[in-house]
Amino acid sequence: MTSRFLLPAGLLSVAALASLAMFFPGTLAGASGHADATQISITPGQVTTRACGTVNVKGVTGAVTNAGNPFLSSSKTCLNGHLISYGNTAITYSNPPRAFVSAGRLLFAQTCSSCHGSQANGVNPQGQATIGPNLQGVGAATVDFWVSTGRMPATDVKAVEAERKASRLTPVQALELAAWVNSLDPAVPAVPNPHLGQASQSVGADLFSLNCAACHTIEGSGDALAFGTNAPSLQNRDVTAQQVAEAVRTGPANMPRFSGNLSDAQVADITAYVTEKLQHPQNPGGAGLGGVGPVAEGFVALLIGVGGLALICFWIGERS
Amino acid sequence: MTDPDHQPSRTRVPMPIAALSDPHMGDAAKDPDRTEKIIGLVLFLSIVFFAVAGAAYWQNWSPWTFGGALGAGLFALGFGLTAWGKYLMPQGPFVEERHTLASTPEERDTMSAALVERSAVVVKRRKMLGGLFAAGATVFGIVAAFPLIRSLGPLPGTSLETTGWRRGMVLVDSSGRPVRKDTLVVGGIMTVYPKDTVSPQTGFISDQGQAVDQTVLIRVSDQPFTTEPGRENWTPDGYVAYSKLCTHLGCPVGLYEQELELLVCPCHQSMFNVRNGAVPQFGPAPRPLPQMYLGYNDDGYLIAMAPYNQPVGPGFWERNS
Amino acid sequence: MSTTAPTKRSRKEALGPYGRVGQAVGELDDRLGVAKGGRVFLDKIFPDHWSFMLGEISLYSFVVLLATGVFLSLYFVPSTQQVVYHGSYKPLDGQWVSEAYKSTVGISFDVRGGLLIRQMHHWAADIFTGSIIVHMARIFFTGAFRKPRELNWIIGTTMLVLAILEGFIGYSLPDDLISGTGLRIGYSIAESIPFVGSYLVTFLWGGQFPGTGVIIPRFFIIHVLIIPLVLIGLLSAHLGLLVRQKHTQFKGEGRTENNVVGSPMFPTFMAKTTGFLFMVTAATALLGAFAQINPIWQFGSYDASKISYAVQPDWYMGWLDGALRIMPSWELAFWGHTVPLEVFLPAVVFPGIVFTIAALWPAIEHAYTGDNELHNLLDRPRDRPKRTAFGVAFFAMLFTLFAASSTDVLANFFHVSLNQVLWFFRFAFFIVPIICGLVAYQLCREMQGVHGIGKRKRAVIVERSAEGEYSTVQAAPRPDDEHEELDPEPVPVRIDIEPLNNGGIRQPESSPTGARQVSR
Repeated sequence: MTSRFLLPAGLLSVAALASLAMFFPGTLAGASGHADATQISITPGQVTTRACGTVNVKGVTGAVTNAGNPFLSSSKTCLNGHLISYGNTAITYSNPPRAFVSAGRLLFAQTCSSCHGSQANGVNPQGQATIGPNLQGVGAATVDFWVSTGRMPATDVKAVEAERKASRLTPVQALELAAWVNSLDPAVPAVPNPHLGQASQSVGADLFSLNCAACHTIEGSGDALAFGTNAPSLQNRDVTAQQVAEAVRTGPANMPRFSGNLSDAQVADITAYVTEKLQHPQNPGGAGLGGVGPVAEGFVALLIGVGGLALICFWIGERS
Repeated sequence: MTDPDHQPSRTRVPMPIAALSDPHMGDAAKDPDRTEKIIGLVLFLSIVFFAVAGAAYWQNWSPWTFGGALGAGLFALGFGLTAWGKYLMPQGPFVEERHTLASTPEERDTMSAALVERSAVVVKRRKMLGGLFAAGATVFGIVAAFPLIRSLGPLPGTSLETTGWRRGMVLVDSSGRPVRKDTLVVGGIMTVYPKDTVSPQTGFISDQGQAVDQTVLIRVSDQPFTTEPGRENWTPDGYVAYSKLCTHLGCPVGLYEQELELLVCPCHQSMFNVRNGAVPQFGPAPRPLPQMYLGYNDDGYLIAMAPYNQPVGPGFWERNS
Repeated sequence: MSTTAPTKRSRKEALGPYGRVGQAVGELDDRLGVAKGGRVFLDKIFPDHWSFMLGEISLYSFVVLLATGVFLSLYFVPSTQQVVYHGSYKPLDGQWVSEAYKSTVGISFDVRGGLLIRQMHHWAADIFTGSIIVHMARIFFTGAFRKPRELNWIIGTTMLVLAILEGFIGYSLPDDLISGTGLRIGYSIAESIPFVGSYLVTFLWGGQFPGTGVIIPRFFIIHVLIIPLVLIGLLSAHLGLLVRQKHTQFKGEGRTENNVVGSPMFPTFMAKTTGFLFMVTAATALLGAFAQINPIWQFGSYDASKISYAVQPDWYMGWLDGALRIMPSWELAFWGHTVPLEVFLPAVVFPGIVFTIAALWPAIEHAYTGDNELHNLLDRPRDRPKRTAFGVAFFAMLFTLFAASSTDVLANFFHVSLNQVLWFFRFAFFIVPIICGLVAYQLCREMQGVHGIGKRKRAVIVERSAEGEYSTVQAAPRPDDEHEELDPEPVPVRIDIEPLNNGGIRQPESSPTGARQVSR
């Protein structure tokens, strides 16, 4: 009698153990090749001019015009040794006003210094490395992206990646923080403001499918990537044009950094495609079924299509 | 178990002798007149729906009104007819005898005898003719296969083992722009093709260039590094290039995670570490992505210093792995 | 007789007692001899069980496919020639796309009713393959494939394989990014076959991928002409065998191995089945109107260096995608040759085994049971626990693989690491079918032992006498019920007002009439 249950019970316990492993993060997922997060390795490079002061240009390409480098853009404004703005008809990059720096310092001390160090350099007063990386030299766009999307301040420091959430800080506060961090080691890219009037959704669609769809999916719905990381959904209407441009130019977290391989006009095209098309899906064929594709379609076809017709058979025929 | 007040008995009646007056030929519905009215209403509704569908098409209303009205009309029509069949037509149950499929043993013997005896004509008496005919038909079958199969396309030859890359070819992006030393900053990625594959018709990369020569170029650091022993100068200024064709099933490996330094194939999630020669560390891919030996030409553009040293993409029988 | 001009009545009399219909029958019969066979045909009896209509879902969705397919074939251009798109869909404007893609977007936006027909065609394809599998499951679990119907089973399995292939080829025709990726994968799978793989692909595609652009025109003619012809032929044989051998039926009152009990072909069955044809068409039309499927305009034309994440094939190919994902990366390399087992095994060998087992199942079961009898009466699934358990395990395995094709979607939805989800499915592939099979076996055995399981008990009417006493009485049997006469459950005493000997139930005067033993 009991031997009949031995095999099933044995198999069930193996199944239970195997699925338990799923709930212990990291047991089966050894991430190798994880770069040390406290050092940001970017090409060393600074440009010093009397008008614009010293600008750290490690994060932008020095070769291609109109691709996010102030010194190779159509127009550049500097004042009293500070870079104010630069860009072209496609995107205007501007640093936050100098007046924000002092407010930013106070805000940083209250909100960010516990993880990033009081000087935003990833070092705590005892000289040890903090949880948060060195922020000096990341530029205003980077800070504005992380704070305005709510990823920072981080609430779960053990998470693999900081997720988008409702920001605790206002957009102005984000710029204040950006202003102060940038003042420590002025860098680019500055905060981009894409001008979508001349942008082409068609070109944007083409570029999106080559550069972005591999992580974000062709419909921009986002998905899980390796080892607990993920590419967020771009269909979320909280994603602003400014944030799209910031992400493309600064490459936050695991996202690649697009510099010289995309001109500002191309970035504006992609931004237009994301904010005008992907975030406003028109489904001329009917209900979008979540945009998940053939899996959802299969469920609908089987459950509603075949299932519904089987119910009709049930009505027509006998049940005996 | 019978209840004479309700339904005709469920005894079976052979169909041919059932007269129209037999209860088995009557309506199954409890209230045939009311049922008829309901079915009639449904059928009438179908006409209305079809009219709406026609108007939707003619006036070019939104697509779902045309389809919805058409579907509703079809459903009403079908429902009406089916309900008519179910409630107002004779349900029976009637019985039909199955005739035996099999023939009698005598008939089977006659058939087998005919086959055996008459084929003896060939087998015993005209063996050579039978053999020659069979041979002729077989040879025809073989020869006929040639135009049917062989003419379809070219022999593979070495086409599966080579790409279009040659020593000195300039790397260009999808618009034909070449790559310089600081086109990408660290953490950047782009797809590159040989310059010669830019199509004069479209200005873009040819089909062959996209499909086979596609290469993924990543700026992993600003210093050269070694992916594997023997490849010391393959990564000038921290640029590394791998074939974008996944070695599993040929999908483009376009998903790059910058901090993990990991290329992930979107199709079946094979994962390749770009620092150590794109060796697969998870997923079904069996072999590393072939790495390209990069260098610069005199104009400062990135070039291929040699073709790929192995066939790109998925495995096949002739591949000497 | 009369020398005057023929009157209306005499003309009517000349027609005979059955009027014009009789005259028509006579004319046809003179030429074709149809009267005798026709009468037999009209009297054919069809058993009425609802599960016997599942095959009709397949048949009628096939009809919808043919009709909508003809429409689509009048607009589709099977060519991979690159052209610039200028049409209604603005986000594509100015892009280089293939002719096939452009014509499909044109059908969707520039042909009135085109999007509806296109979506109906695709929904009908999904329903077609789904209903074939449901129909095959019914045949399997009730043992309808046994002698003399083995040939029909093999024909049906062949039609399933052709339907799946036809669907794959069909959705690859528009040459969009998603289906083009599937074609690239198909190329690599064919390439992985030892000895002949590289020849197979260069012959079919015309060279190293993507070939000379012949694959789309070739797929077009295969999809529109070759496979439909074969399917129509097989379908005719399938239905012909059904007519010749007659339908099976469940055991029951008055049903034997040598008869068929049910409703007649004319007019009843014809009415029901024609009505059902309209309802199947209605289902595809309603789905096509209200649920979007395969919005190729969002994907863009196929470019071999582009890819989207979170891509799965259509559902009936999903099990192969899942198998490809969970397979470990084993590759054999020896003596200058490579056998990519990580592709060949899950994508060629495994489906080969699955379909071979499916097609040969009548022989397998015959070898196991040694049963050489003709069977026209069906089993209930619980009557054959081992067969049912095997079938349940088989379906559980296929469903696990189907779920495994969405590892990334599941990882995203449940916020679990992708790698862990994949490992889970590698175990689940073995464990889930075994557990499901064992559970099904147990269920069958236990259901066999329960008297009257699955039957409705007779309703119980609660009556209140003038004194306020409650009692129960069995209701009259419902007319269509073949239910058991079971002992009524005693009504539990809730308020102990007056304890009565029998707990407050007044037994009915007479025992229930016509109690029947259930036949096992």
